[in-house]
Amino acid sequence: MTTLYAMNDHFEPDRQEKVYLHPLPVRIWHWLNALGFLLLILTGFQLRYVDLFSLMSFETAVKLHNWVGFAVIANWFLWFFYYVTSDRVTNYHPDLDAASFFRRYFSQISYYSSGIFTGAERPHKVQPHDKFNAMQKLTYQFVMFITAPVTFFTGLMMWDVKRFEGLIELAGGIRVVNTIHVMMFILFVFFIIIHAYMGVLGKKASSHYKEMFTGYEEPHD
Amino acid sequence: MNNKITLGCLMLAAALLLAVPASGMTDSLEDVSNPDAKCLKCHSKNLKKKLEDGERMSLKVMASDFEESVHSVIGCTGCHRDVGKSKHPSKKPISNRRDYSIAQNETCGQCHAAKAKAYEGSIHASLSGSGDAGAPLCSDCHKTHAVQSMAVYEPVTGEPCKACHEGIYDAYSQSVHGLARSNGNVIRESHIQAPICADCHSAHDIDAVAAIDHLQTTCLDCHEGASLAHEQWLPNAGMHMESVSCAACHSPVAERRIDLQLYDNLGQVPVGKNENHAAIRERLDEIDTGGDGLGPVELWKLVRLTSKDGKATDVTLRGRMEVTRGVDAHRLAPRSEAVRSCDNCHQGRLAGSMRRAGHASSCWTACWCLP
Repeated sequence: MTTLYAMNDHFEPDRQEKVYLHPLPVRIWHWLNALGFLLLILTGFQLRYVDLFSLMSFETAVKLHNWVGFAVIANWFLWFFYYVTSDRVTNYHPDLDAASFFRRYFSQISYYSSGIFTGAERPHKVQPHDKFNAMQKLTYQFVMFITAPVTFFTGLMMWDVKRFEGLIELAGGIRVVNTIHVMMFILFVFFIIIHAYMGVLGKKASSHYKEMFTGYEEPHD
Repeated sequence: MNNKITLGCLMLAAALLLAVPASGMTDSLEDVSNPDAKCLKCHSKNLKKKLEDGERMSLKVMASDFEESVHSVIGCTGCHRDVGKSKHPSKKPISNRRDYSIAQNETCGQCHAAKAKAYEGSIHASLSGSGDAGAPLCSDCHKTHAVQSMAVYEPVTGEPCKACHEGIYDAYSQSVHGLARSNGNVIRESHIQAPICADCHSAHDIDAVAAIDHLQTTCLDCHEGASLAHEQWLPNAGMHMESVSCAACHSPVAERRIDLQLYDNLGQVPVGKNENHAAIRERLDEIDTGGDGLGPVELWKLVRLTSKDGKATDVTLRGRMEVTRGVDAHRLAPRSEAVRSCDNCHQGRLAGSMRRAGHASSCWTACWCLP
């Protein structure tokens, strides 16, 4: 019998059955989001540093940034409606026992800072309805409910400055809106780099990446 | 007998000779009113008055000009009300021709009050008030005695603006508007009344172009569908329409620049346009102690302090893309030749120079500065 791994560093060597962790809508959303964010970062850099490099024309960069921006917003709703209508929403359920949550949070930090190097047991056991560890849960909720919506709103305001003039003034002016958008961009860049790095910490460097295509945990051997 | 005949002939000849100028004058004055004929009896001659600055000012009026002018019905005293039998010719000294013209032109407002008020707020009046001897007064555009109706200025001759703004008029005459006007007002096979100077700049309340938004509004008055047409292809069309002058794109040969303007958000006017702005002027004087203009830091200090005053004003700094030279604003090309590529402003030299000047080259921070 094949030994299976769970995603995100939390494989259970003794689990016997093949576990379906990432349903198709989640995988579609995930990879569209990844592609969208890469394009947004690329076109965003082109917009910002138009006189320093010329990967594409300014017009193409603006149009692509706008279209991809709307696509990523639509994609967020795909993620949101899938989870609110699915029993897998439990993956995101907050832990109402704060003491217990932070205990698990710090044990996860401890694992990533030392345990991972000494072959310690992973603190979180991955299940289809509880696949995120405490750090992931907090990070993903922050990204999906704060960073992403704030980026969407500020991007939308700058997409048509005249249309959202009132809101922009309320926010403190276009410079404030622009600064917030750029700060969110910086957070996303950090998130993507760390997310991609954590992705290689499976049994094999490609394990978690494969899981995000097949939906199933990668076999242990 | 022969001597008597000869003497008689000589007297007749002399009488005829003397009669010629008299009858000639009567002919030219026969269409003017009697009181005006009395004035012209002297003022059709080469009368001159010595001014205090030493110039000898001509007092001659061409009778034919006056007859044909729209003012012939009000007569000489319609404007020269201070002239009376007992006090004419006046011994009152006149310092110079310019001061006399300014004083005389104030008379126009007695009948044309609305026009005079409009003129008072114009760039022409402002220049005149600041002592510019070349700034036009009523009579510079409308003539002194040969005052004609508005219709005379309608044909595409460039008068009277061309007299001072010849380069601009030449640019206009080769523009899409000027060519349409001279080709029978046909634009894209439709009969459209193409604008002449006053249609865009107005006739009397002519303003400094950089200080106003109304030229853009004027364009949109005729080009009603322009906003919608831009929205079809131009990202952030509303912001572009507000922060880029029409000519910046529709005069493709023009060099462009970013003008920064202090804007009163409460009054919705540029600073300097109403009396509430005296406080801002005071702040400006405090900051610009050397009177040598404001650097970037001083400019932000001014905006911050005036916003802090906060009672009567809410001042922000607005950026606007304009053509560098006024003459280029008149070289409007057909729509097919207008700048349509973003790269003209967002790439290359302009974007680079804005970055070096401390602006991000992206449109929203460079063109639409808000604190």
